[in-house]
Amino acid sequence: MNPVLPEEAVQVADAARRAFNDLGGVELARHSELDPQQREKIVGVLGQLGLDALDPRSDPISLAAAAASCAEAGRVALPYPLAASLVRDSEGRPTAAIPESLARVDHADLFSEWRVGTLDGSAGFVASDATGPLHTRLGPFVGTLSDLRPAAVSATDILCQQLLVSWTVLGALENAVNLATFHVNSRIQFGKPIATFQAVQFQLADAAVTVAGLRELAGFTLWRYSSVGEAARADVFALRLHALESARAVFRTCQQLHGAAGVCDEYDISVLTRMMQPALRLPVGIEQTAALLADAVVMDGFAGLFPLGGRA
Amino acid sequence: MDFDLGDGAAELRLRLRGLIQENFGPNFLGAFTNNPNDLDATNSFCRLLASKGLLTLAWPKEFGGGGGSLWDQTVVREEMWAHHEPRGAQYMGLNWVGPALMAYGSDAQKAFHLPLIAAGDVIWCQGFSEPEAGSDLASLRTRAEPVGGAQGDQGWIINGQKIWTSYAGMAQWCIIAARVGGGERHEGITMFLVPMDSPGIEVRPIRSMLGPHHLNEVFFNDVLAAPDSVLGEIGGGWSVIKTALAHERVGIARYARCERLLSLIGAELSPHWSDLPSTLHVAWVRALVQVRVARLLAYRTVHAQERGEVPDVAASAARIAVTQCDQSVAEVLFSALDHRSLEAGSDAPLRGAVEDHWRYAQAATVASGTIEVQRMIVAKALLRGESV
Repeated sequence: MNPVLPEEAVQVADAARRAFNDLGGVELARHSELDPQQREKIVGVLGQLGLDALDPRSDPISLAAAAASCAEAGRVALPYPLAASLVRDSEGRPTAAIPESLARVDHADLFSEWRVGTLDGSAGFVASDATGPLHTRLGPFVGTLSDLRPAAVSATDILCQQLLVSWTVLGALENAVNLATFHVNSRIQFGKPIATFQAVQFQLADAAVTVAGLRELAGFTLWRYSSVGEAARADVFALRLHALESARAVFRTCQQLHGAAGVCDEYDISVLTRMMQPALRLPVGIEQTAALLADAVVMDGFAGLFPLGGRA
Repeated sequence: MDFDLGDGAAELRLRLRGLIQENFGPNFLGAFTNNPNDLDATNSFCRLLASKGLLTLAWPKEFGGGGGSLWDQTVVREEMWAHHEPRGAQYMGLNWVGPALMAYGSDAQKAFHLPLIAAGDVIWCQGFSEPEAGSDLASLRTRAEPVGGAQGDQGWIINGQKIWTSYAGMAQWCIIAARVGGGERHEGITMFLVPMDSPGIEVRPIRSMLGPHHLNEVFFNDVLAAPDSVLGEIGGGWSVIKTALAHERVGIARYARCERLLSLIGAELSPHWSDLPSTLHVAWVRALVQVRVARLLAYRTVHAQERGEVPDVAASAARIAVTQCDQSVAEVLFSALDHRSLEAGSDAPLRGAVEDHWRYAQAATVASGTIEVQRMIVAKALLRGESV
């Protein structure tokens, strides 16, 4: 029993953190919103980091390195579909899960062709001709792939992308708690830091425990996916559900603890909250993820201290 | 990265489940009932575990234990709690009174007490909380006056009142915190080991939704404690309490019973389970995820202990998650049973286990340190710049 990420993965993630910070950290997301071409800077950096050659499906350490790097991307709301790009096919096409009704993916315009599929495994496509992006505050880079050609898309790869997206959300939430902690320590009201108020402390503690739990679940799910592959479907959905529910609670708390600043883009918490929305809504949001999980548990069981039936 | 506890853990789990099945009927819901046979059964079971080397599996060999790993200990805690703690009230002596004795006891105290605990022959209770000292334990007022000199050469006279004392009516021994001298707060707090049949001790049960034996008041009226009854240093009780609470906070694997009941409820309600509202099925899987997260946070704490760390903050984080999970699962199970959740006893769904779980879960966020205190510990660590 060892819940700690392998040292090799930690080193890759440390390098990614330094590189993403050198790009400006959350500031790069702000700039990219005004000038989407800024995102192209990221491609070269991923190459320098070796992330363009990393295949998370090759071995458990590569998977852990990919996951930890995605967490670093989430920490700064990196305006790039890192999770999808890490799960490439032999043609270099990124892999992403899409909604059943529309082939929407974040940063669709950054690749000429994608490999996409639904979460339930019922449909798969090679897709191109990105239209959009939406240019909205909550989905500035979300585009729609209009040319869909049916293709076999590995369910395991779709799960891998979803696993890495959850790690991205984890990184964003860890930073959200850090930002809120810094803010409540430095914000003076009634003559003292607002961190001295118990109501503030309790909210912060709950957010931190939520994120700590998400990190443990994310590690466990990495291990499950490495161990059993596609049979970890319920585990990956469980992680996604918990990531989405954690995000709803933790972003809300951390924005609230910033006061009005929590909705102002001058503060990282606002940008982080906005930029993570596509990861939280695509391909499906909380309730549909929960329904998918319920089906998966019936089909596959759910690993634990006591058996739940299913095939697992 | 590896979350497999190994074949040894799996074998231990199966062995414990087999022993429980052989020694308890399907209606067993713990020792704390009005049926004295339940207490007798748990005491017999403790002696059986002791004879097989399983009762103190995780104690160091020098103290008569099996020298098992913290993960062995974790498996034992999970299996026992999942199956309504068939060790009865003795889990407290095994989980932390024993370890506190190992850490702070004199040679004579160790020689006397540890074999009794290891043999499954003694029940301990703990006298910490007082009517005016709950979360603020350091404000306790129970006093111990030395007899025959400042070091209590002829013993100690203890006066005061303890409250919420679990199993006091069953226990043969009490580990009690009392103040010596005129110190304030942590100063002067001293731990005493006192036989519960000492003249001057009166136990009054407190009626509660938890059921009998769980909560009691204990009055100490001029109780004479022996000269060698001090555990640790005179005035050094706070360190003992911290050790005890650290063990206690990771001690109860509430998530394990949650997992077991969630796994059983579908079959219990079969064939109607699939007819229940989809919102309930979704609540059920949400509960499964919450339980998994709680277990993983507990495992993180065990892993830190294994590395020789003192994971106070991680233990508090785990405790917040585990106790909230206990209460959430209770609600999901009640929702599944609907009006039948009100039934208790052997004719009730899952032979009353869900009803019993819900009642006991109501105190989860209070017992062994309130969730508010745990939040304060977590928040203060965060604000100091530590990770949680």
